[in-house]
Parts: sequence; structure tokens; C-alpha cells
Amino acid sequence: MFSTIFTYELKYWLKRPATYIYMAIFFMLSVFMAATTAGIFDSITATTSSARIVNSPIGINNLFNGVTILIFFLFPSIIGASINRDFKSEMHSILYSYPFTKANYLFAKFFSAITIVTLIVFTIGIGMFIGFRLPGTNSDLIIAFDFKSYFDAYWLFILPNILLFGAIVFAVVTFSRNIAAGFITVILLLFIQGVTDNLLSDPDSRYLAALLDPFGSSASDYYTRYWTGYEQNELHIPIKEVILYNRLIWLGVASLVFGLVFKFFTFSQNAMTISLFKKAKGERSTKRNFGGITKINLPKVVNDYSFVQNLKATWKISNVEFKYIVKSWPFISIVLVGLIVVLIALSDFGSPTGTASYPRTWLMLRGGSAFVFAINICTFLYAGMLVNRSKIANINGLEDVTPIPNWSLFLSKFIAIVKMQVLLLTVVMVAGILFQLYKGYFDIEIGLYIKELFGLKLINYVIWAFLALMVQTVIRNPYLGLFILLVISIGIPLLTLAGVEQAIFKYNEGPGFGYNDMNGYGDSLSRYLTYKMYWVLGGLILMLIAALFWVRGLPHSFRERVSIAIDRFRTPIAILFVALLVGFFIMGYTIFHATNINNDRYSSKEAEELRVNWEKMYKKYEDYAQPRIIAVNVNMDLFIDDRNFESSGEYTMINKTDTAIDSIFLNHNDYPSTFKFSRENTLVSEDTLYNFDIYRLKEPMMPGDTMSLKFTVKNKPNTLLVSNSPVIKNGTFINNMELFPNLGYNGGELTDDKTREKYDLPPNKLKPQPSDSTALGNTYISKDSDWIDFEATVSTSEDQIAIAPGYLQKEWVKDGRRYFHYKMDSKILNFYAFNSAKYEVKKDKWKDVSLEIYYHKGHEYNLESMMDGMKASLAYNSENFSPYQHRQLRIIEFPSGGFAQSFPNTIPFSGDAGFIADVEESEDGEDAGLNYTYAITVHEVAHQWWAHQVIGADVLGATMLSESLSEYVALKVLEKELGKSQMRKFLRKSLDDYLISRTFERKREKPLMYNDGQGYIRYQKGSLVFYALSDYIGEDVLNGALKTYVEKVKFQEPPYTTSIDMVNHIKAVTPDSLQYVIKDMFETITVYDNRVTSATSTELDNGKYKVDIEFEVSKYRNDEKGKQLFSEVGRDSISYVPEGKEKPILSLPLQDYIDIGIFTENDVDGKMKEKELYLKKHKITAINNKISIIVDEKPTEVGVDPYNKLIDRVSGDNRQKL
Amino acid sequence: MFGLLGPNGAGKSSLMRTIATLQSPDSGSIMFGDINVLEDKMALRKVLGYLPQSFGVYPKMSAEALLDYFATLKGISSKTDRQAIVKEVLDITNLYDMRKKHVAGYSGGMKQRFGIAQLLLNNPKLIIVDEPTAGLDPAERHRFLNVLREVGTNCTVIFSTHIVEDVKELCNDMAILNGGRILKQATPSQARQELQGRIWTKIIDRDDLEAHESQFNILSSNYNEDNSLNIRVFNDAQPSDDFKSVEPQLDDVYFIALKQDEPVSAV
Repeated sequence: MFSTIFTYELKYWLKRPATYIYMAIFFMLSVFMAATTAGIFDSITATTSSARIVNSPIGINNLFNGVTILIFFLFPSIIGASINRDFKSEMHSILYSYPFTKANYLFAKFFSAITIVTLIVFTIGIGMFIGFRLPGTNSDLIIAFDFKSYFDAYWLFILPNILLFGAIVFAVVTFSRNIAAGFITVILLLFIQGVTDNLLSDPDSRYLAALLDPFGSSASDYYTRYWTGYEQNELHIPIKEVILYNRLIWLGVASLVFGLVFKFFTFSQNAMTISLFKKAKGERSTKRNFGGITKINLPKVVNDYSFVQNLKATWKISNVEFKYIVKSWPFISIVLVGLIVVLIALSDFGSPTGTASYPRTWLMLRGGSAFVFAINICTFLYAGMLVNRSKIANINGLEDVTPIPNWSLFLSKFIAIVKMQVLLLTVVMVAGILFQLYKGYFDIEIGLYIKELFGLKLINYVIWAFLALMVQTVIRNPYLGLFILLVISIGIPLLTLAGVEQAIFKYNEGPGFGYNDMNGYGDSLSRYLTYKMYWVLGGLILMLIAALFWVRGLPHSFRERVSIAIDRFRTPIAILFVALLVGFFIMGYTIFHATNINNDRYSSKEAEELRVNWEKMYKKYEDYAQPRIIAVNVNMDLFIDDRNFESSGEYTMINKTDTAIDSIFLNHNDYPSTFKFSRENTLVSEDTLYNFDIYRLKEPMMPGDTMSLKFTVKNKPNTLLVSNSPVIKNGTFINNMELFPNLGYNGGELTDDKTREKYDLPPNKLKPQPSDSTALGNTYISKDSDWIDFEATVSTSEDQIAIAPGYLQKEWVKDGRRYFHYKMDSKILNFYAFNSAKYEVKKDKWKDVSLEIYYHKGHEYNLESMMDGMKASLAYNSENFSPYQHRQLRIIEFPSGGFAQSFPNTIPFSGDAGFIADVEESEDGEDAGLNYTYAITVHEVAHQWWAHQVIGADVLGATMLSESLSEYVALKVLEKELGKSQMRKFLRKSLDDYLISRTFERKREKPLMYNDGQGYIRYQKGSLVFYALSDYIGEDVLNGALKTYVEKVKFQEPPYTTSIDMVNHIKAVTPDSLQYVIKDMFETITVYDNRVTSATSTELDNGKYKVDIEFEVSKYRNDEKGKQLFSEVGRDSISYVPEGKEKPILSLPLQDYIDIGIFTENDVDGKMKEKELYLKKHKITAINNKISIIVDEKPTEVGVDPYNKLIDRVSGDNRQKL
Repeated sequence: MFGLLGPNGAGKSSLMRTIATLQSPDSGSIMFGDINVLEDKMALRKVLGYLPQSFGVYPKMSAEALLDYFATLKGISSKTDRQAIVKEVLDITNLYDMRKKHVAGYSGGMKQRFGIAQLLLNNPKLIIVDEPTAGLDPAERHRFLNVLREVGTNCTVIFSTHIVEDVKELCNDMAILNGGRILKQATPSQARQELQGRIWTKIIDRDDLEAHESQFNILSSNYNEDNSLNIRVFNDAQPSDDFKSVEPQLDDVYFIALKQDEPVSAV
């Protein structure tokens, strides 16, 4: 019997066109995705440059699983429908009396549906296989077909997931006899996965997360999270414990679910119902079987068929529809789960480092974006439900013969959807307000909530509603419609990959908007709203098309519907249609004109080609001698109301070379500018595309000669759609590199060698090695200057304060404008900025240095902490390295961006990074998140030394001298002033960030002292390395060496210092036994793998404890691609085969000193606190080690490198509890 | 009151749906009074009451709410008007006590009455009911027909059924339809009149049926309690002596019409 039902079912599916539609969609989708990642569109868009093999095992696994997620949305209509069909067609009342067993019936139904799903998934695999190999893909990104990659992804992840989710959906539909319920289940499962992912993202809960993720992706992440590029390209996902446990757990759950279905399923007439409310007790009722004839005398009523009445009716009908939505289970569940997601999102929003921010309303609104998916799903789903509702309820026969016009019925569905969206957005608002109240935060900006949610965001959703109604009306199958809408909404942004870059060609795309406390929405709204109006027109056209295809009466064939649509296409619809179409095109053209014709817009391919030609044309001038700028004097006038600037300035330049300079290469931007040199010259080449002009001097500049350049720069007027100026209404922050001209060819070349080859460019040389003594002429900040004198006059509107580096000489008001004259009294780098806003000022002093914070009113939260940070950093740096070169230090808030940047005695600091962080410590300081406001402050102040005193030459490793050292100072100051726990939080985060970020490396990872500028090396690895080094050789010793170094190189003229110079200073104070540390940490990429394998403690007679620890230490090097190397010279690696294992553990030779720690827990005020019993470095020479240590108290935990000072990819096994 | 009589699959429902603007014919025209139905569907819908053969309702909606909804669709703008007429139609169909209950939970008869209730809301001039009595118990059927007759006094009712009895009880005009064609149109009494003296009956043995079938034009045959058969034969003259003349019934009209339309099968 099983095979009869099974084959019958299979045949049923194989005969249905839907099966092939699904297959085709998935096939095309996967071909597209695979081919795109493999660079098929490189000829029409920018080159896909990556060292990442796209069809590596892990790449295949990710893409395969990614596309498969979509198929879960089909489960209700395939797996659910397989059993539901019998109910729906009432076939079950006959079928269930047939002589087959429950087992036969259920298994056949389930497995036939699973087979169909499996077949559809199979097309994904084929699609990927083909996609990767389509002609035109980039062969460098592809390796040979590897069956195991596909096979593993399939049987290990996809198939079990299909079984699991299939079983769940099957169970839900079987018992509820409702496809929608199955659908909701899928959405809930996806939501829940997101939530648990979020909750368990902490490194400590990764094991749990790996077991609990029903998709299994956290389980594979558990092993592959920190894989380097090489490993990602080469290795198969290891089929090891956690992955197998995870799969077994979830297969178990799947069997359990199916078992439950089997147990409780009965061949019965009625569905199981679960009701929240107690059912009213059934009353016996008999109808009246006798009754007289009624005299029919209908009351006189007014029947009104006017337009106004139809409008009223539309509104009333929409209320009925709205009630239906709100009362339906799918909606309720999506809202509830969505609400939870939003609350979770809110609770960790605005906390880049795990430190919460004050719940400002705009942050709540940003956190509310977690609800986007819920609103879109509801829109897509209910558009289908409403459009098909009367058909599904079989009431269309009654409804369609009433004199209500089609537009009224159709419009009522639309209004109901919009009402639903408003309700959902209200949920976001309520969640936000509740969260703010819960946090005890009462600055609730209701007006902002309303403006953003019911104004800006609602338009966006309404535009989706237009499309949803159109698709659902044409498709007439809500689940297929939903699926298509999902594919469309996911697919539209991906069109960019295929070279469709402009938003006017992509439905409901366009520039977004951003809000911050200082500048509100800034100028983003005009652009956002213009595009939205454009898409509203486009959406209305879709609505008209939908109205034409609206089905009234009995089901029509598609051909019939087309002819009806053509028939309906007459006045006034035709006029409206044409009017909308014309409006749409006019608006589209207007946008296109403003952004493309009146404005230089470059596609990413064009931008790539521009860079190629720039290099081809001008690189030859790179080494051409140019004068150096030695003094800058600028006037900057900021016109806040119109967001314009006008500036003028004068560079004083000197020929520092020993040859005559005959030409000046002036490299400027496309702002309208004028230039005037103090020496006679002729403009021999003017390039209006690259703005690279060559002036030939009549009389060459002889060595030591000076000349000046006077220039003016202003912006083109801003338009509604294009902003041509960096000036904003409140919180302008502009630096000189954006505005002012510089001298000589300044790089900006394509770096990817494959791309360069495509354009016939020679392979890209990395920056020169620090050992290259000819390359030390420039700092990494500027190529046309060393140290300059600086003076600036800045003007702004009367209610704002404008700031530039230097000391305020004079402030005055003239013609309603406020002027500030700043002058620097010492040499600075040619790197300065202008800020202007309505500021409040907080002042303080450290010794004779005046400290100021210019902040936005309302952002007073962390001013104390910032002041403390400034003082502590000034103190630490001046005590340990050299005196502070200025008499003033200022922090200046700018609106947003999440960073701070150090200019001479001036530190612009963004309002969303630190000003609103909630770093208030709890009493013991343990629970507080990392006080990153403080850490950033200390870091930026440290730059006054490490960049503004010591600046590296523009060679590899230069940023180690600035960023790594600033991180080191921040870490040390944090440890000293705020305690060890803050320091550990910092280190822990650094380690995790470093290990994660290096996995995204697309080119090469270099050792710290040769780094290529990657943030994760110069910041995260830098802080880890310098901290560990200070631990090895002592903070005093390290700082002493640095002090000597600073003395030697600060404010130096070229040739500039390099990382080699600094490391040599450190080497000089490092004992021989620890020289290996410098090699490991600075000169190579070295990764440890340390773990405790066993630990026991025995109480001795004297009350002390003997602790026996067995542990393993091993280390390896990574090459720049991330390949592990266990030997350095010849085959000098050491190995150890653990008991019961076959594979040996390999390591580089060890002569290493590693921390061994023993800990206990003490009760401090009711809280268990860790206490060190023993912490000492042991010399380790073998992989496997056993030691015994006697401690005074009963130990609870032991560890090898217990504080994770060393870089180790599995930091969790460094400690073991006793 | 127009009865549309025909066997299952005769095209009754299609015809009625076409009149009720739910379907479009390939060709032809439909006029109702001055209204050209195919050209101006809205005009007809304003005066139309339609009860399809089977229909569903929205779940979780009470009769009152659903009728109010339909009243809105039918253009009754004032709330008090809607309340008044909804109460009245509930009264007429004897559903007033059940007005707060979900229609989805109604029994077949109640649902059918609900169908009538919604149809009355716009005080229709043309009522189309498609096999409304199918599946009703005798009391319900009776009641239903009474309501329909009452409603039908001031307007046109087109009523389809395959039960001859219904037409006999109700209609003053009728047509017999099969295979999409009108086979006969007449008033019920007129139609019977035409057959006066041409219907004959005889009691025969079960085993003799085949012989009689080949010999006579048998319209129907019914078993008697003793398993003998009562056959009715259509013939202009007495077929043979053992046949008795009987009063023609509407059934006879129906069967004759169908019989005449049957393709001549090879005997």
C-alpha cells in the first residue's frame, strides 16, 4: 500500500506545473548566485577581486545552504499540502475509510513530499555546478569540481534540515489542517534561529550555540570560524563531534516530531483545535421545524451607488479585512515573535563593544529595523490572503454579484494592508518606548517616532504593498505569490552584482536616510522622498495593472483574463494609466538627469577604468621632484544655511631636494578652484577629468628656493538630489585632504593583481619594505610635506562655533557671521580639519594644558569619563615617552560615523561613538561593559605622540608605529585606571576581532611589523602583541626602550623612521631567551594551540594542595595566505602523538615561556570572584607537559596561558575546572 | 417565478451564473427589462439577488456582521438602514435568534436561509437561485419554498432545480434544459395540458421490462411493493388494451422533453 500511495503522490507532483516552476526558479537563482560570485559580470561591472575560491568546500556549503533556506518557505505548500490536499478536497472522508494503515498513509505522504523537495534542492546543486562554470566566469576563483563538497553539504546539512523542517511542517499541517499554520511555523523557526544566534553569540556560549542551531551552521562555524583564507580555500569542513552531535540531536527531534504525528494521528473527520479561550459549553439547540409564512415587507432603505458611497464602503470593507488579519494566527504569531526579536535587537543595539548606549529614540528606531522582515512577510502574505480570501472561503459567488465596483474591492484590500502596516509600525514604537521606560530613560521623542515610522518608513512598505497586490492578484495562489515576492525582494539588491547599479532601475530602491542627534536627518530626506515618490508612481502603475487583472466572477483562464484586462483598459483607466506612466518616466528622467547628466556619476566599472587610466597616464610622474609645503594659511568660510563653503589659502613651498624643479604637478579635486603661483609659469597640461594639472615654471626652483601657491576652492551649488558639499547644518567635519590641492602623483592604484592583469597593468608592488632606504622620504600621511606651520581663519554662522587646529587668536562677529582665527605655535603634520556646530563647551585643565570638550547639548553623559581619559593619557604618554607638544587639547563632537580621529591638539569624536555610551559602572566595576568612550579617548590622545610626534615612513608596517602603540597605551591606561577586568575585556575582544577579521582577508596577511595597513593587524593584533610583550619583558623595560626611540625620531625630517627601527630598540632591551617572542609576534605570524588536557588536585597533610597539570603547547606559523607551517629551517618541527590518537600534533621547536595559572574562587560580598593562587611563566620545550605545583588554598581551576595573552584560535580550552 | 428544470450537468448553473454576471458567454445577449446585462453588469447587480448552488462564508463572522458587510457591498450607506434591513431579513429567514452565531457553524438549512437573507438585502428585482433545495430536509425545504414564493410575488425569480416537484409547487413558467439547450418552455399547467390523453400506464412484471422498452416509449418505471413495475408510456393513442390512460404529470413533461433530445442510439 505504501508504494501505491507513494507513487500516486509522486506522479501527482510530477504532473503539476508548480513543481517545475519551483525547480526552474531555484535553478536560475543558484546559477545566478554561483556565476555572480565567480565573477561572470566582471565585463559589465567592477572586477570581482578576491583570493577566495568560490567553489571551495566551505564556499559551496554556504551558498548551497543559503539558497536552500528559501525552500523552507515552500514546505507548507509541498509537504504540508501533501496531506492537506485530502482534507481540502474532502477526500479524507472517503480515503480514511479505506483499508490502509496509518503508517502506510503517513510515511507515503511524507516521503513522497520529501522526495519532491529533495529533487528541487537537487536543481540547486546542479545550478551551482553550472553557474560556476558558465563561460565568462573568472577561472582564478574556481577550482576543479569536487564531489565531496557538494555531497557533504547535502547529506550533512541540507538533507537533515529538510527532514527536520519537513517533519515539523508536516506535523503542524496534519494537526491543524491549515497550510497557513505550517507557513507560520517556518517563519517562527527562522526567527527563533536568529534569536538564539543572537543570544548565544558570546564566545563562551559557542559550544551550546553549535549544538542548538537547527540549521547546523553554528556547528560548522564552531570549527571554521577562524579559518584563514588558505584553509577556507583548501579544507573540507571537518565532520567532527560538534557537527555530528548537532545533526544527531536535530535528526532525533525530527524523528520525535514524526513519531508524535504517528502516535496522535487518527483517521478522523475533524482537525484538532487548540483554543486559547475556553469553549462555551455546547447547548442543545433544535431549530423550529414549523413556522408560518412570513409576510415579506422589506423596510425602505436608500441604496446609494455614488462614488462617495463606494469610497465609504471601501473603508468599511477594509475594516472587515483588517479585522480578519488581526485575528488570524499567522499575524498574531509574527507580531509576537517579531516583538521579541525587536526587544532583543534593542537590548544590544548601539553597542559595538558589548557596551550599551543610552536608548536614544533614533537608536530605538534603528533597532526596530529587526522588524522589517516581519512587516514585509506580513505584507506579502496578507496581500495574497486578502486577494484570494473570498475565493478560498467560496463566498465570491455572493460577493461578486453585488453592485460594488471592482476598484472598491481591490482598494479595500490595499487599505487593509496599509492599516496592518501601521499597526505593525506601532508595535515597533511601543516596543521602543517600553524599552526606554524599562531602562529608566524618559527622553522619549514621540514626534520622531511618528515622523519616522508613519511617515518615512510607511511609504517604503506601502510601495511593497503595491507590488505585493499586483503579484498576488496575477498569480492567484497566495503561497506561490509569497514565494515569488520573497525571491523578488531578495533578488532586487543583488542586481547590483549584475551591473544594474542605479536605484531608478530597481523597484523600491533608492538612497536611504540617517538620523543623528546633532544634524537630524540632514539632507538625506529630500533624496529619500524623491525616490519614494518615484516608486509610488511606479507602484500605482502596478496597482492599475492588478486592477485590470482583478478576477470578478468565476475563475478565468489566463488568456481570458488577458482579454478581460484589455477590455477593461479604457477611459478612465487608460487615461490614468498613461498619466501615471508619463509621470513615472518624467520623474525617472528627472532623477537620471540630476544624478547622471548634471552630475558625474560613475558606475563601479567606470570607476575601475578611471583608476586604471589614472595610473597609466600619471604614474610616470611619481618620482618627479616636487617642492615641499612648509606653511599653510587658509580662510574657510562655511555658509551653514545653504551648506556651502568658500575657502582660500596659501601654501608656502620650498625645494628641499638638491636638484632644480622645473614643473609643478598640481593634484586637486573637481571643486571649482583657482590657483596662482608666485613664480611665473605656464599651464602645460590641464586635465579636467583627473584634475591633475602640470605647470611649467619659467625659472626653475633651485634647491632651497621658496615659492607660494594661492588658491580658492568652493563647492558647486547643492541640488535636491545631489549634495556637492561636505558642509552640513550642524556638525560639519571636513579635513584638508578632501578640499585642498596637493602636489605630485598620489597613488590610489588598483591593488588586486588579477584585476591589474586584466587591464595590462604590471603586478602591484606592495608598499616598499621598511628596509628599503630609498623609500623613506614621505610619511604615510602626506607626500608633499613634512612638518608645517599652520594658521587658519574659519567663519561660520553666528550661532555656531568653528574649530581648526591651533590656538584661538581672535574671535569676532561681522555681518552676522562668526569668525575664529587659529594659529599653531609648533610644527604639525599637513593634516588638519574644520569643525562647526552649535556646541556646548566643557573645560578643565591638566597641568598647564587646557582641556576642552565641544559637545552637542544633551550629550553630557560621558564628559567626565572623556576628561579623565584625556588626563590619564596625557599623563601616561608624557611620563613614559616624551612631553606633550601642545598647551591645549580639544575633543570635538561630530554627528556620526562611529570613529574618532586625532588631528594636532584636536580630536573630532563622533557623537554615536562614545558620547551616548552607557558606561556607568556597577559598584564592583565587573558587570559594566568595556568603557570604550574612555578607551577611544586615551587612544586618540596617544596619537598626539604616536603619529603627531613619531610618524612612520610610507612603507609596510608604518601604522604599527601609530595605531598599535596608541592601542597599547589605551590598554595600559585602562588597566591602570579602570582595573584589570576592563583590560581583559579589551584583550578578549581584540583576540576575537583579530581572529575573525583575518578570515575575511582577501589578499595577504603580513606580520605586524610589515603590515599592509589592515585594521585587524594594526589595532587588534597590535594591542595583543604589545600587551604580551610588556608582560614578557616588563612594562618599564618596554616603555624605556620606546622612550629612547621617541627621543631619537620625534619630529624628524626625512628619511622617516620605520617599524624596523622601533623593533630594534625593543630587541636591544630584550633578553636572549625572549628574542623568540619578537620573532613570533613582530616578524612572523605565529599562532599557538595551547590546552589543558588533564588536571587534578590532592590535599596534602600540611593543608596545602598539590596540583598536577598535564597540558599541551604547540605553535605554528602562517604564511601570508594563512597556510600552517610547522617548521622553519628544514624539517625542524617537533611532534607528539597523544594516547589513543593516530594523528600527531605538530609544532615549531619550542623554547617558550608560557603562563601557568592556578585559581580559586572566593566569596566576596555574596559574589564568587576569581583569585590567583599561582601565576608564573614556565619554560616549555615539548608539546606534552606535566607539572606539579603546590598551592595554599583549594584550587578550582587551572590554566595554561589562562589570560589568553597569546594568539590561540581555541582560547576556551586553555583553562580547565577541577 | 421561472423554473429551470434539467438533469445534473444540463448547464443550469452555467446559465444562471451567466445571467448573474459571473461568467461571460461566448456569444449572445441577455436583457433584463431595459438592462443589457452583458454590457452593463453593474446595472443588473443593483437589482440582482443571487444564491449559488454552493457557497461558503468567512470564518469567525456572525450572521449579523456578515449581512451588514453584504448590505455595505450592496450600497446601503446609512447605518440605521443597514441595521433595519438586516433585522428584517433575519426575521424573514427565521435566523434572528441565531444572528450572533458564526455562519460557518450553521447547518445546511440555516446556511441556505442565510443565503436567502443576503439575497434580499438590496430588495432585488431579479432573483436567481440555483438548486436551493438540494440537501434540505422536508420541513426546511417547505419553509424555503414558502419564503421564495413570498419573495417572488413582486419580482422575477429564476429558479433551477432537478426536482420536478419544486417547479410544480412554485413556478408559473418553466423551461427544461439539457446539454446547454432549452428543450421546452411552457407554463407547468400548459405543459401538462398538452399531454392530456397521451400518457398511459400499465403494471408489468419485472422480467417484461426489456420487451416493453423496445416496444413502447417508456417515460418512467416505478416499483410497486410486490416488485411489479408501474410503467408510464407516452403515446398519442392507447398503445394496447392493457394500458390505462392517466392524468399527465409534470414529470412526464420533463421526461418527454429529455427523451426527445436524446441522440438516437443504435438499437
